[in-house]
Amino acid sequence: MSIRNVKGSARWWALAGCLVWFAFTLFPLYWVAITSFKSPTGVVGGPTYLPFVDFEPTLTAWQELFSGKRGEFYNTFVASSIVGVSASLLATGLGAMAAYALVRFTFRVQLASGLIFFAVALGGYLLGMHSLGLGRAQALIYAFVAALALSLASDRIKMPGPVLGNNDIVFWFVSQRMFPPIVAAFALFLMYTEVGRLGVRLVDSYVGLTLAYVAFSLPIVIWLMRDFFAALPVEVEEAAMVDNVPSWRIFFGIVLPMSKPGLIATFMITLAFVWNEFLFALFLTNSRWQTLPILVAGQNSQRGDEWWSISAAALIAIVPMMVMAALLSRLMRSGLLLGAIK
Amino acid sequence: MTRHDPIKYVFIWPALIVVLAISIFPLIYSLTTSFMSFRLVPPTPPRFVGLDNYWSLLQNERFWQVTRTTSLIAFVSVALQYAIGFAVALALNARVPGERLFRVGFLLPMLVAPVAVALIARQIFNPTMGPLNEFMATLGFPNLPFLTQTSWALGAIITVEVWQWTPFVILMLLAGLQTLPDDVYEAAALENASPWQQFWGITFPMMMPISAAVVFIRLIESYKIIDTVFVMTGGGPGISTETLTLFAYQEGFKKFNLGYTSALSFLFLIVITIIGLVYLAILKPYIARAR
Repeated sequence: MSIRNVKGSARWWALAGCLVWFAFTLFPLYWVAITSFKSPTGVVGGPTYLPFVDFEPTLTAWQELFSGKRGEFYNTFVASSIVGVSASLLATGLGAMAAYALVRFTFRVQLASGLIFFAVALGGYLLGMHSLGLGRAQALIYAFVAALALSLASDRIKMPGPVLGNNDIVFWFVSQRMFPPIVAAFALFLMYTEVGRLGVRLVDSYVGLTLAYVAFSLPIVIWLMRDFFAALPVEVEEAAMVDNVPSWRIFFGIVLPMSKPGLIATFMITLAFVWNEFLFALFLTNSRWQTLPILVAGQNSQRGDEWWSISAAALIAIVPMMVMAALLSRLMRSGLLLGAIK
Repeated sequence: MTRHDPIKYVFIWPALIVVLAISIFPLIYSLTTSFMSFRLVPPTPPRFVGLDNYWSLLQNERFWQVTRTTSLIAFVSVALQYAIGFAVALALNARVPGERLFRVGFLLPMLVAPVAVALIARQIFNPTMGPLNEFMATLGFPNLPFLTQTSWALGAIITVEVWQWTPFVILMLLAGLQTLPDDVYEAAALENASPWQQFWGITFPMMMPISAAVVFIRLIESYKIIDTVFVMTGGGPGISTETLTLFAYQEGFKKFNLGYTSALSFLFLIVITIIGLVYLAILKPYIARAR
């Protein structure tokens, strides 16, 4: 079984390769860690690598950072954490449900009703805005509801054109992720501003940012979780169905615990995406719910050559994800054995 | 196996509603704007211009240059990520000594904010004070223009992309490798198949579906690259490292030319869709055979 272990000289070649890659992976992280403890003269004098040997470490950068001289790191950190964790939990939960439904149930949607949805949404929006004199937000909300109702109703009638199955629905979800985020972010900002005029504050708010992140994480969650669910043995579920266990209990009681490694991996990827995301945060927040990447990027334009302070700021954004990775990869390893089947 | 049960709608609708509500507006909004001449600075009222925005983009040499640059970065970095990632995943799966330490260490780059990575890369690639310059100087090549000459700058960006995203490939392929059944390998070992034959005959084909998914995700994501390029080179020297999203950013948020930017984003979407469809068409027979 060569896939589970290597022996002989191949083992040492594999180790050598891993060590090279390990050094390549860790050097930049080591570099940023030591640079945050350097003094201004220690940076300008050329590269140094070993604290206490090459250079004398100082805490200047960190003191400046925690004293708030370099921006509101505390509030930003809290905002980033809240948005990141809740958006990833929600996206993983909703996405796992949808992915499971797409793996185990049959869906039939007529392409025609999908086109009706898009046509009614687009036409209703233009009609509402230009002919009925509605604001952008009202026009959009009415058009959305009308489009949804019409397409659902039309799906009950047999129409010409192809019928879409599960794979097409998955493809549709994933294709949402292809849309260039730059225009999506700006258009979302305009939509949130319009909705704000109706009295619901979405720009620079918890709900607005979280919702945007959930929507833009769902495609990847569905894609990944679908593969994990499809790899699960169906026998356990069939046995439960024979015993008349309802579908929702099969999902929450049997399927979710069995796919724990997949769920953790997906949660981790989503959290990393949300935590590090730059464009949406740039447009949808300005002060209260600003996230760390925005603050860190601002450090660059303000002080380009002050490497010690930039490094400390970058570390504030980096370290929490590393701690989480260490904890979650431990969880994954223990769960990966899929005890239920073997 | 699939079955019918009304509960399936409860499972799928929450996700469907969120995606429809949050993504249909950007689509409709930018689709309608892409046919208009619409500027915020100086403020001009929207005026219907048909396909003008699209035509002027297609005739703009900068659009093609930017598309080529983005494709180059995306394809080269994803190819490297996949090759390195698969090798590392195999080594980890085969319990190379120190596997536990490697497993945690290898995942780290993926978790670092691209903005922070770019800031670190600027320090490392600094042509006078950076550690890479010192290393190259000992080899006899001091003060190389890592970020200020086109080919070096592209190389630097690709290196950073490979550094950051190979962990994603490792993570996914490792999860896939662990679901492979043992009995096939036992049978292969009885037949005296060499490790090389086992890899190309069993592992690689069986990993095809997950490989296809991973490469697809990375390719699409790589096409959207902006933060790294923005901080590292700002698209320079000139526009030689400018990517599609950065071009859209320059047009949309420096010049506030919304109609043009929306048309650009739809052309961007068309480029990506073509690449995606071609990719899936090429891979479909292999994925179907492995399943």
